[in-house]
Amino acid sequence: MTEHTVRSLGFGLGLRPQHYPAILDGAPEIDWFEILSENYMVEGGRPLAKLMAIRARYPMVMHGVSLSIGSTDPLDMDYLARLKALAARVEPTIISDHLCWTGVAGLNMHDLLPLPLTEEALSHVCARVDQVQSFLGREIALENASTYVTFANDAIPEWEFLAEIARRTGCRLLLDVNNVYVSAFNHDFRATDYIDAIPRDAVAYIHLAGHEHNKTYIIDTHDHPVVDGVWQLYGHAIRRFGAVATMIERDDKIPPLEELTAELARARKVAAAALKQPAQVA
Amino acid sequence: MDLLRTEHAFQDGLLGQSQDILRSVRGNTRESAETMFGVYRNAYWARLVEALGNDLPGLKALMGDVAFDTMARAYVARHPSRHPSIRWAGRHLVEFLATEAPYRDEPWFADMARFDWALAFAFDAADAPAAGLADLVGVPPEFWGSIRLTFHPTLDAFRIATPVDEARPQLLENPGIRMDRAACCERAIMAWRIEHDVKFRAIDPLEFSALQAMRGGATFGDLCELVAGKVDPETAPLRAAQILQGWLEWGIVATVEHDGLGSAA
Repeated sequence: MTEHTVRSLGFGLGLRPQHYPAILDGAPEIDWFEILSENYMVEGGRPLAKLMAIRARYPMVMHGVSLSIGSTDPLDMDYLARLKALAARVEPTIISDHLCWTGVAGLNMHDLLPLPLTEEALSHVCARVDQVQSFLGREIALENASTYVTFANDAIPEWEFLAEIARRTGCRLLLDVNNVYVSAFNHDFRATDYIDAIPRDAVAYIHLAGHEHNKTYIIDTHDHPVVDGVWQLYGHAIRRFGAVATMIERDDKIPPLEELTAELARARKVAAAALKQPAQVA
Repeated sequence: MDLLRTEHAFQDGLLGQSQDILRSVRGNTRESAETMFGVYRNAYWARLVEALGNDLPGLKALMGDVAFDTMARAYVARHPSRHPSIRWAGRHLVEFLATEAPYRDEPWFADMARFDWALAFAFDAADAPAAGLADLVGVPPEFWGSIRLTFHPTLDAFRIATPVDEARPQLLENPGIRMDRAACCERAIMAWRIEHDVKFRAIDPLEFSALQAMRGGATFGDLCELVAGKVDPETAPLRAAQILQGWLEWGIVATVEHDGLGSAA
């Protein structure tokens, strides 16, 4: 499927098991779903059955957390093989994961850990993106993760780091607007500077989510509604990138589906309003 | 510091093995590097403890939140996750509870973890159709002795020394309830899935032995001999047939094969 098709998916939600009945019994106003790839790398049972029943009705995107693209451990080819097998079954519009690493020495910390933003790390990540895209036979999208520390030897702003990965490898970007907001606060930069530095055609789709504000830093919990500041930043992003596929990602404290479709309706309104405003020059 | 050494130092910091990473990371204008790195360290432990609690709800209800948290942290320190999916983080927990002090002194813990794990396994193990009694009815009498079974891929069977199967529903209903942990029993449990519903059943030691034998490739004739060694030899064939019938009725058998199938073909 072409990049244009990915960007044109519309407004989606992260698929969560709590919502299977509401999705299958009703016809919620959701254009597409993003699945957590690892949750469906299983042999059978209810998860796969529900997944395929919903897939029969909706386009899907696969989103993983264990690619560990920045790790200095070798790529986990068994994981990649299972990812590829799941993709053959689901036929997702695109496969995404995060710009991060999840462990070394064979361990998995099950977290999206930050990379030092150096030329060495950039070359390392690009080589691995090439490897992954070659193995999967398709382009992937990488998401900006929220971060809580920076490194003393950082040499490249994160937005330039991401843009350069996209330029060198041809991979797409999954822009999490909440994560930009969180990292901007945590590291004292302007969130709009980040957005404005991302190439317009590199963004495949957008994540929106909530967070927990602790006054001196923000934790990306993905367990709250999207806050006003993130909505404003989303409007800014849409003015820059145009009508890009967008989804709400709720990972914890999962509310009833209606609450998330209401939040999605707000995303539609914010995007529609932004598209009527003049595009940014940057 | 290069990327490789940075990542190893970062991970060592998460695991509490070294603080060297604090010399290489920065906080922000409001918080120190130590505080901000602590966000990652705290999240690591909290996420794994939460995942273990989700995957082993019976054990968590049995131990209580505080004791479970302490145990889970000790387990994660001993067995950090090596699997891409966090749902496998607890795969060494039964062994840990059975061998590590003080948990090894309370057999309820390892038994409950084993039971939780079997139910979780059955939930999303491979799909397969189940054989039924009709598959047995068609076997000519002369080939009964050669009957071999393959079992449903969701089936797990194991021995326990405590009645965790009876206690678990009560504990999930009322997590604070105090169980009489003096209660002991020698029995086995089998857990499996029919369509999307996970099932379990307590079975006696004889049936467990029979199940283990036939999962290992024994024939129905072997099963009759095994049963004959445990019960009145005259009633052994009937008892063996009852066991076989039960398995087919419960849906734990995938296929029924016998020597006549080859000759008929």
